Amino acid sequence: MAEVRLVDIEKRYGNFLAVPKQSLTIHDGEFLVLLGPSGCGKTTTMRMIAGLEDITSGDIMIKGERVNDKPPKDRDIAMVFQNYGLYPHMTVRQNIEYPLKLRGMPKADRKDRVRETAEKVELDALLERRPSELSGGQRQRVALARAIVRTPSIFLMDEPLSNLDAKLRVTMRAELKHLHHELGVTTVYVTHDQMEAMTLASRVAVMREGKIVQLDTPKKIYAEPADLFVAGFIGSPSMNLIDGAVKGGVFRADGVEVSVDLADRDGVVLGIRPEELDITQDAKAAISGKLYALELTGESTLVTLRNGPSSVCARGHADFEADINSPCHLAPKDGARIHLFDRATGERLG
Amino acid sequence: MKRNLAYLGERALLVLISIVVLFPIAWMFLTAFKQPRDAYSLSLIFEPTLQNFITVFSDPWNLGSMVMNSVIVATVTVAIAVPCAALAAYSFSRFRVKGRKFLFFLILSTQFIPAVVIVLPFFLMFRQLGMLDTRLALIIVNLAIVTPFVIWMIKGFIDAIPTDSEEAAMIDGASRLRVIKDIVLPMAAPGIMTSSIFCFILTWNEFLFALILSRRDAVTLPVGLVSFRTERGDLWELMSAAGVMITVPIFIMALFIQKHFTRGMTAGAVK
Repeated sequence: MAEVRLVDIEKRYGNFLAVPKQSLTIHDGEFLVLLGPSGCGKTTTMRMIAGLEDITSGDIMIKGERVNDKPPKDRDIAMVFQNYGLYPHMTVRQNIEYPLKLRGMPKADRKDRVRETAEKVELDALLERRPSELSGGQRQRVALARAIVRTPSIFLMDEPLSNLDAKLRVTMRAELKHLHHELGVTTVYVTHDQMEAMTLASRVAVMREGKIVQLDTPKKIYAEPADLFVAGFIGSPSMNLIDGAVKGGVFRADGVEVSVDLADRDGVVLGIRPEELDITQDAKAAISGKLYALELTGESTLVTLRNGPSSVCARGHADFEADINSPCHLAPKDGARIHLFDRATGERLG
Repeated sequence: MKRNLAYLGERALLVLISIVVLFPIAWMFLTAFKQPRDAYSLSLIFEPTLQNFITVFSDPWNLGSMVMNSVIVATVTVAIAVPCAALAAYSFSRFRVKGRKFLFFLILSTQFIPAVVIVLPFFLMFRQLGMLDTRLALIIVNLAIVTPFVIWMIKGFIDAIPTDSEEAAMIDGASRLRVIKDIVLPMAAPGIMTSSIFCFILTWNEFLFALILSRRDAVTLPVGLVSFRTERGDLWELMSAAGVMITVPIFIMALFIQKHFTRGMTAGAVK
């Protein structure tokens, strides 16, 4: 087990600033997810922790020790790569065994450990196969087995589920969560999939342009996004963000009138999640427009209405039916969280 | 009809090209089994003999020592050039060092110099060092000729290998050299095998430097062929028998290389 501390780390590629100066502490046994869109610096940050990328300035501390100059092999980490990084010329057994072999474990012990690990990830029947003879999910499990076979201090996982199909991803997500619970090893997980982040993380670090814009529990990030970017990034479907202005304690936009606790100002964005809106027949409801689209997701129907430039989505009952272009009204549920942001800076207001 | 004509034309052209390419080789193989009196005849009907092969291995021709020289020079050259080139190719492929591209160009540029331009300096140098007519001199020269080519070839194969597996091995606990030994070399093996065979063929067939730098002790097979031009005229049947001795190993390697070359080209392409 280990605590990882990034102290004022910065990464530059020539003149390009990939990760601006910042600090981050990953607590012992924590499952921290680095979440952000492609190119936001999350993988670079993880690779710096792994030692696969030099840092331009700052310090990386693992278990209280500065590891800046230590090669990856001496950092007591294990990593699962996006493309698995398996050894194609070795069998599954040899792949899993390799880290133990490098650490000089006796052959008999290695054999037992490989068997135990393979059983844990249900690979025991495939030990003599080569990676090319395995499916994507099986390859992913080999990569996982190779990482957990020697119980390192830190797990690093770089989008390990991104190459799997949707169904397998959900299964593997649960397996990863269970594995973390079982082993309790500090884990840093990189993903651009907010659902993965929400379901797996103890804490999520949302990144944008190399910078961590919010670091908190998934619940807190969902409930209180720090800025407009996080608000739009977290949640599926994402939060409704409506451009407007506040006057006399009321937020106004085309077809939208919502009471808010904010002084008069222009350039305000109101945010409300689709699941916190009710579909109503009341013509005086807070949000009105014409029905633009109905999307049945199985357990619910996503109802999108439009009024001018404003487009608002609500999660309705699965049985909800109405004609496209018919008038439609939405009202915030009791206790719904209304978020207000500054359009220009993206900062949270109030 | 038009397609059939095109097809026939294409086939005819292929047959013609094959005849042009294969005729000298077929002629050499046939002549190697002919008696001296039949050597100039184009007839396919003759009394075959193995006497030419016996003659070329006996005095004064002694092809055996030339075969030995060629085998030693080619094998040692490959044994030194390929491991060195593999390490150099790995470095060029993986390390982002300043001036890397220029250095790589510099190494390749040695191949642009015509051999005949540098053969004299090499001759003077080896004469000064007392190394004329030695296998070591030929090995050194051949290393200078083939190593840049092999570096370039192996680099292509290593470039095609994704770095994920290497990084995974480094995290698993391997040093850089261990990564090369355990991961890179096995993955690049088909490419390295192909490069080795090419390297062997180049050295095996090298003529100009061997001609100038050897006299008696270090004469290789291609140079040995010249000795069949005598005062009695060109001994075509013996030259052909020696030619067969030079060509057969290369033919066998070419058969081998065909399989490995295709494997080598696709080895790194798939994740």
